[in-house]
Parts: sequence; structure tokens; C-alpha cells
Amino acid sequence: MSELVTRNYSLVTEYMELISILLLVFPLLGFLAIGLFQKQMNRSFSGILASSVIFINLILAAILFNFVSSSNQTVETQLFDWIKFGDISIPMSLTVDRLSALMMLIVNGVGLLIHIYSIGYMKEDEGVNRFFAYMNLFVFFMLTLVLSSNYLMLFIGWEGVGLSSYLLIGFWFKDHVNNDAAKKAFIMNRIGDLGFLLGIFLLYSTFKTLSISEIAAKASLMPSGDLTLTAITLCLFIGAMGKSAQIPLFTWLPDAMAGPTPVSALIHAATMVTAGIYLIARSSVLFVLSPVTMNIILVIGAATAIVGGIIAIYQNDIKKVLAYSTVSQLGFMFMALGLGSFSGAMFHLTTHAFFKALLFLSAGSVIHALGNEQDIRKMGGLRKKIPFTFALFIIGTIAISGIPPFAGFFSKELILSAAYEHGTGMGILATAISLLTTLYMFRLLFVVFYKPESKEIKANHHIHESPKVMLYPMAILAILSVVAGFVQMPKLFSETQGFDTFLSPVFAKASGLATVSGQALSVQTEWLTLIIPISIIFVLIFLSYKRFVNNKELAVQTGIQHVFANKFYFDEIYDFFLVKPLAFISNVFRGLLDQTIINGFVNAVGNGTLFVGKRLRRLQTGNVGLYLIFMVFSIIAILFFNIIL
Amino acid sequence: MYAIITISIVAIIVLFLGAIQKKTPLLPIIFVGLPVAFIINLLGWNQSIHYYNEMYIADNFSIAFNAVLIFTTLLVFIFAPVYYKPVKRPLEDIYALILFALIGALTMTGFGNILMLFVGIETMSLSLYILAGSKKFDPNSNEAAMKYFLTGSFASGFLLFGIALIYGACGSMNLETIKEFVVAHHNNIPAMLNIGLLLVAIGMTFKIGAAPFHFWAPDVYEGSPTLITTFMATVGKVAAIAAFFRLMSSSFSDMESSWVVTLTIFAIATILIGNLSAFYQDNVKRMFAYSGIAHAGYMLIAIIALKQQAAGVLLLYSISYTIATITAFAVLILVREETGTFSINAFKGLAKHNPTEAFAMTIAMLSLAGIPPLVGFAAKYNLFIAAIEQGHLPLVIVAIVGSMISVYYYIRPVVAMYFNLPSATSAIDSSSNYKKQIFLAAFLMIVLGLIPGVIINLI
Repeated sequence: MSELVTRNYSLVTEYMELISILLLVFPLLGFLAIGLFQKQMNRSFSGILASSVIFINLILAAILFNFVSSSNQTVETQLFDWIKFGDISIPMSLTVDRLSALMMLIVNGVGLLIHIYSIGYMKEDEGVNRFFAYMNLFVFFMLTLVLSSNYLMLFIGWEGVGLSSYLLIGFWFKDHVNNDAAKKAFIMNRIGDLGFLLGIFLLYSTFKTLSISEIAAKASLMPSGDLTLTAITLCLFIGAMGKSAQIPLFTWLPDAMAGPTPVSALIHAATMVTAGIYLIARSSVLFVLSPVTMNIILVIGAATAIVGGIIAIYQNDIKKVLAYSTVSQLGFMFMALGLGSFSGAMFHLTTHAFFKALLFLSAGSVIHALGNEQDIRKMGGLRKKIPFTFALFIIGTIAISGIPPFAGFFSKELILSAAYEHGTGMGILATAISLLTTLYMFRLLFVVFYKPESKEIKANHHIHESPKVMLYPMAILAILSVVAGFVQMPKLFSETQGFDTFLSPVFAKASGLATVSGQALSVQTEWLTLIIPISIIFVLIFLSYKRFVNNKELAVQTGIQHVFANKFYFDEIYDFFLVKPLAFISNVFRGLLDQTIINGFVNAVGNGTLFVGKRLRRLQTGNVGLYLIFMVFSIIAILFFNIIL
Repeated sequence: MYAIITISIVAIIVLFLGAIQKKTPLLPIIFVGLPVAFIINLLGWNQSIHYYNEMYIADNFSIAFNAVLIFTTLLVFIFAPVYYKPVKRPLEDIYALILFALIGALTMTGFGNILMLFVGIETMSLSLYILAGSKKFDPNSNEAAMKYFLTGSFASGFLLFGIALIYGACGSMNLETIKEFVVAHHNNIPAMLNIGLLLVAIGMTFKIGAAPFHFWAPDVYEGSPTLITTFMATVGKVAAIAAFFRLMSSSFSDMESSWVVTLTIFAIATILIGNLSAFYQDNVKRMFAYSGIAHAGYMLIAIIALKQQAAGVLLLYSISYTIATITAFAVLILVREETGTFSINAFKGLAKHNPTEAFAMTIAMLSLAGIPPLVGFAAKYNLFIAAIEQGHLPLVIVAIVGSMISVYYYIRPVVAMYFNLPSATSAIDSSSNYKKQIFLAAFLMIVLGLIPGVIINLI
């Protein structure tokens, strides 16, 4: 009997391993099929193909998710030995545990909805086949990132999503601005990637392996605050900063809005930009043991959340507002990580994926309706013109603002309670940050949908609701934005901490190692932390309604607002202090070092070789008698040197 | 052994059919016969059968190399109908001679007795002499045949003399017996054996086309009909290097001191001369001849470092060299067909009208140059590693420098194909046969580059 069980059991595991491989195979095949035959393929077919691929993937992901959550075991799949020389051995292998199962469910689920949405959104575009090829490529790399069981393969996925992001930001490459945005994203990420790479080197030299689980096991034996660990975690965090758009590497994300809106929703809101959070959650053991890094993460996360939130209030481009909102929310997640609340960060990541994707898709729907208009000053009164989009947008807004019972409330609540456990000051700061969300989101809502119609809107008679293929995915996201929070109720209301319990095996080791465990909050404090923010939220909504709905033109900015509206002059500061000096140094080096010294040397070698070749060729005269004489002389010489000497 | 017999029968049938003026069944018979021989050859895997008093040994080494040789010959025959399209007569003599040369090559990889080696070499060489001159009314072809014959028989003389001296010293021509003799007289190897070995090595060096006995190669390769050049550059060279390796590893590995230095100098000279002379060639066919010389130098490294996994590495190298060379020649034949010249200029703008061919040529060139992830890189990498582990670092450094030089001339056709689009000549009409073969080769070059271990661990 038990033998049968064992056999069944191993059979199931084998199936799961196969599924985890297929999860990577399908999007890759989708990419190859669409990418290689993009000229031949029917333009309406590529979207369907790409979506079906992700649909199959979603089913596979659901099966895997069900397996790991019910059986509480991880699926380890060995693919092949990738690098093997000397004592270095890096196998390609996949790990499906609860963390990666959650991530791949998000990637495939949100990915599927956005793929379907794109069928409608990109319908008229010439390059629609190329678009879907890139989208599948992105999913492939994102899953590689999420599923990999070692840091190097994770890095491949990491670079791969960066590549897909670059390709999609510059998707409309005929416009030079888009190319610049793509390059900016790529270069900014490169800075972070360098940090990540250094972190990988350090990891290898410290632990002699790159396997995530082995490193966690070895690191858990090290003392807290170990210098090497601090260095490693700092390097990894620099990588995360680049990918997840944290200060100082965040300026690429708003520019990345140059890509098509579904791309902004999938890559630059829901999935890729959260890779940094995933990386840190994955390496939770290392980070828990480096309190210094954790504090830095906390500070940078908070700073990013504040700066992003403030800038968002002063933006006039609908996508830019959402982009800075993403920056701010990512900062909020990093705060959670810095506070040691890994499951809080992951929970907010999950809910954020739903409502931010919803908001972006709604924004896309608005842009689509208005014929590619993104400036909110030229909108207004749209709630009557596109009622469905309006309804969906309002759901997203409520969810992101943290109004109960929508999803954002619960995930923010988890982070806020972690902040209050850390200290009242930190709690108040976190509350203030989350209130910023209300400000910029409701401003956006009111200006776009409630404000009296602008003259552009009045003149535009082609405003139309988006097709069903776009609205249905948004509706599903809206439902998720409403209900997703219920898996994890605040401690006040329910004993079942669904999300926390689900991820607890993944973070068990880290939470066991955590040095300071915060004090549990009293019931009164918990109530206060719930009620005060919510009341402030309603006050803020009222205020911004007064301020923005009745005001015909957006007020002229004065003083400090000018700084906010100009994004704190981050780009200008970088340009002056980094780009210009770097360009100067590069020019000097190019002239002196490269052109004169290196190029001169290389050319000399090349010319020398050419000269010898020219001479050598003359030996080959074509005279067979001469050849024979050469041969004889050679033989004599050989025999002479070998025998006589 | 039975593969050799099968091919002999096929060759005789081909000759007979030609004699009674039947043209159509010639190639079909070959296309059936060679795969059959290929399978029969593989059936002996892991059995290591010794035939006719140790004259012929069908061990894994010879079976693996024979598989490569038969497969390569098959690829050459695939091109025959296109190459010989203008020729109206049955061509049974040429086909049969190619098959006879193949028989010689198969004998060379599995010899158990030095006499057998000589028989194999002469069977192959005599066929090749005639094949080189098979374009009867082309003076270049005649000249090539004459030069090849003169220098080749010269080298055969030394080879035979060396064999005689070895026999004189050891009293046997059996590889095993010679090895026993070498082991027994480890400390006082007779000078006669030393000289004999050197003369045999000189003969073999000539056959693989390595310096300083390479002078025949450029002229012969250039003058011969291109299809025959393809055959010589692949089957001829691989068979000779496999035979050389077999000879050294099975009998003389214990008297390394008396030949390693000489062969190292040969290898260094070959790599440098081959690569440097290819540098200035505008004639692509001649450039490939020099490239073939350079690769003979690399393959010599496998013999010098024969103690490691060198047999497997040599096999991988042979496969990599063969596939890339045959692909390159295939495209060269196509280009020549269209433009009537072998000049590098003929390649200009090829990518515009013939992207497949240009792509395959690019892959072949990059593989020959040893650019990852193609098989050429994997082969060179493993070869160099094996040599470094044996302590031949200076040799490897020269080889790497040679590789670097080679990138220049391998890239030239690529540059011409892709960066001169405006001057593109009209499209080359290529039949589907060609495309499939080219695709297969490009595919192999990429896949084997990713999994070189499969080949290396084979033997």
C-alpha cells in the first residue's frame, strides 16, 4: 500500500516537474512562432495565438499552484548543467515553491488579461505581430526569473525582461523620443544590473554556489550583521533599485510610458518592476541578517514613496500620474521589506498588480477613446461619455487608495501594522505616504471624469467606449481588485491570515532569524490605525473634489509646486552632475586612449600581420620542382635535428 | 569491414552501369548504398572486432570516424547533380573513384597493421590524383593532378621507407607488436625506429597537408574541380588525421620524446603559415585551401596531446571542420555557378537575394573561426584545454593567435555578403536539395556547439 502511495507520489512530482518546464516552453514557442513568421502571419491571428499560449500557461500555473499549496512541498526540476568547469558548476534548474507559484500566477493571470486587452488595443497597429512576439518573450523571461533556482539563471531572466522592456518601450521606434526613453530605461537598469552582478560574484566567492536554497542554508549559520552579507545584500538591493525604479534610479520608469499602454500595465506596473521586490523576498534570509541594508531599504523605500507620490500630484499626463504612482507604491513595498514584512510586501505586490493593471488599462481605454490624447487638461466630463471605463477606473481608484473593503485596503493595512509595530513614528510616516495615494488618484479621477468638459472634448465627436475585448479583461481585473484583499483580513476582524500563512513556509527561516520582533499592538491602537486614515481619506476626497471639479483650468503652479511638477529636477541634476562629466571623460578617453594608443597598437599589429602574410604568399610559386626541393630540405633538417643533435 | 565491402560493391555496380550507358540509376544507387553502409558501420559499435590477423580493427574509434567519412561523402554526392549539371555523360568513373577513395579512407581509420595503412593511403591517393584531373580539358585541373601526383608519390616513398625501417627495427608491422617493442626497449630505442617513425610522420604530415609539406595543397585545391576539392578537403584530410592519430596513439605514445617536439614545430608552422597566407587571398577557393592547412595544424594538436580525451576531441574537431567546410564549399559552388568566379567580390550582396545561403555561409565562417556558441568554438576550446593539461601552453598560445588572425579572413566573405547590398548580383537559383543540405549543416553547427560533450565522450 505504502509502496503504491510512494509511486503515485513520485509520479505526481514528475508531472509537476514536466509542467514547470512546459511553463517556459510555451511562451518561448509563442515568441518563436510569431517572431519568425511575423511577416507571413495574419495580423488578427498573432494576438489570439499569443493569448492562447498564456492561457495554457495560466492553467499550468494554476495546477502547480494548487499542488504546492496543498502538498506543501517544492518542485525542483533539473534541466541541464549549464556551466561546468573546474570546481564551478551551475546547473539550470527550476524551483516552484509557494513564492514562485504566487508570482507565476500573477504573471500569467494578469499577463493573459493584458494580452487579450491588447488584441483590441493594438488592432490597428502595423507591428501588432512584433508586439505579441515581444509580449510572449517577456512572459518567458519573467517566468525564467521567477522559477529559477539559482541567482545566475535569475539574472538571465532579469536581463531578459529588461530586454523585452527595452524593445517594447521603443516599440514605436519611428519616433525618436520613444527610442530615447527605451535607451534611458536600458542604461538606468544597467547600473542596477551591475550591482546585481557584483552581488552574484560576491555570493559565489562567499558560498561557492549560486543555488538560492543552498545559499540560504549556509547564510543562516552566519552571524547577523556580517560584513560580507551586508555587502552582498547592498549589491542585490542596487540591482533591485534599478529594476523596481527606486531613488536614485527611478527616472526611467515615467519615461517608459512611451511604450504602448498594455506594456505599461503589464511590464511597468504589474510584473517586471516588482522583480526587485521578488529578488529581496527570495533572498529574505540574507537580508534579515543584514540590519544595515534593511534600514537603507526602509529609508530609500520611504523616500521613493514620498517623492513619487508628490510628483504624481503635479503631473498632467494620465500615464505619467500612474507611472509616478507606481514608483510610489513600489517604494511602499520596499518600506515593507525594510520593515521585515516580506509577506506584507508580497501581498501589496499582488493586489497592486491587479488594481494598477486595471488603472493602466482604463487609462488606455481613455486614451483609445480620445484618439491618443494623454493630457488630462484636455479631458473632463468623461464619466458620461465612457461610463464603463469610468466605473472600472473608479474601482481601481478606490482600491489603490486603501478604502475598505477593496483590496488595497487590506494589503496596505498589513504594511501599516508592520510599520506601527516598528514604532509609532514609522507608522505615522507610512500612513502619511499611503494618504498621498488618495490625493493624486482622486485628483486624476476628478479631472478626467468629473471636471466640466474641456473644449477639446466638446470638439471631439468620435469619443466611443472601447470594444468588449478590452472591457472584459478590465472587468475581471476590477473584480480581483475588489475581492483579492479578503484572503488576508486585518487581525482585528479575523483569525485567518490566509496570505501570511500561505507564504509563511517560504519566509520561515528568515522570520526565525529576525533580530527584533516588534511589539504586538494593542487593540485600541489597531482600531486607531484603521479609523484615522480612513477618515482622513474621506476628508481628502472631499477637498480634492472641491478643488479640482469646479476649477476649470488646473491652477498655475507657484514656488515649490514648480519643483514638484518638474519631478524635483532629477533628470536635470543627473544630466549636470553625471551625464555631462561622463561624456567629457569619455571624449577625452576616446581621443587619447582609444584612438591614439589602443587603435594605434591594434593597427600596427594588423598591418604587421598583413605584411607577413604578403611575404609568406610568395613562397607559393606554383613551381612543383621548387616544392619538392623545399620538401627535401625540410626532411633533411628534421632528420638532422632529431637524430644528430 | 562490411561497410567497406558494401561500398566496394556499390562502386563496382556504378562502374558496370556506366559501362552499359545507364545514367539515371547511378546516383540513386549511391544514395541507397551509402546510408546502408553507414548503418552497417554503426552496427559494429562497442564490439571491437579484429579482422584478418589484426589487419583491420573495427573499434569505436574507427567506427565513429568512418561514420563521419561516409556521411560527408554522402553530402558531397548530394551536390553532384547540381555541380555536374552541364555534363551529359554518365560520370560513372568519377562517382566510382570517389567511392574508391572513400574505401581507402575507411581503411586508413581502422588499420591494425602499418601495411594496411599504406594500402589505404594509396587507394585513396591514387583515386584522388585522377579525380583532381577529372576536368580533362581544363589545364588547371591537369596541372593540379600532375602536381598532386608528383609530390604525393614523393611523400609515399618516404612513408614506405619509414615503414620499412620500422619493420626492420621491430620485426613486425602490427601495431600491437610495435607497441610491445617500444615498451620493452623504452630506454634504448634503436635509431632505425626513430628514423622510421620520423619518415612515416613526414609522410602523414604531407597527407594531412601540414607545413612544411603543405606546398601541394593550395595549388591542388585550387586547380581541382570544386566538388573534388570539397571531398579532398574533408574526407581526405579527416581520414589522414585519424590514421595519423591512430598510429601515434596505439604504437608510439610511449616514445613521445622522439616526436612531440617535431610535431609541435609542425603544428606551430602550419597554423601560422596557413592563417597568414589565407590573409591576402582574394580567391575564396584558395583561401579555403589555406584555411584547410591551418585546421590541419589545429588537428595536429590533438595528436600532440593524445593522452587526454584527445580522440573524442579530434572527432568533434573533424565533425566541426567537415560540416563547416562542406557548407562553405556548397555556397561557393553556387556563387561560382552564377558569377563564374571564385573572387571574394562574387559574394557581394549575396544576403540580399539569397538570405538562406548567406546565413549558412556566415554560420560556417564563424564556426571555422571558432566563435561561440558554434561547434567550431567548442571543438577548439576542448582541443586547447586538452593540450594545456598536457603542458603544451606555448603551442596553445600560438594556436589562439592563429585563430585570432583567422577571424579576419573568415569575416571577409561575411562582410561582402551583408555590407555591399547595392552591388548585389542577381539572385542565385538554388535547388531545394541544396537548401535542405545547407539547413541541416547550419543546424548541426549550432546544436553540436551547445552539446559538444555528447561527441567528446563518444570514444
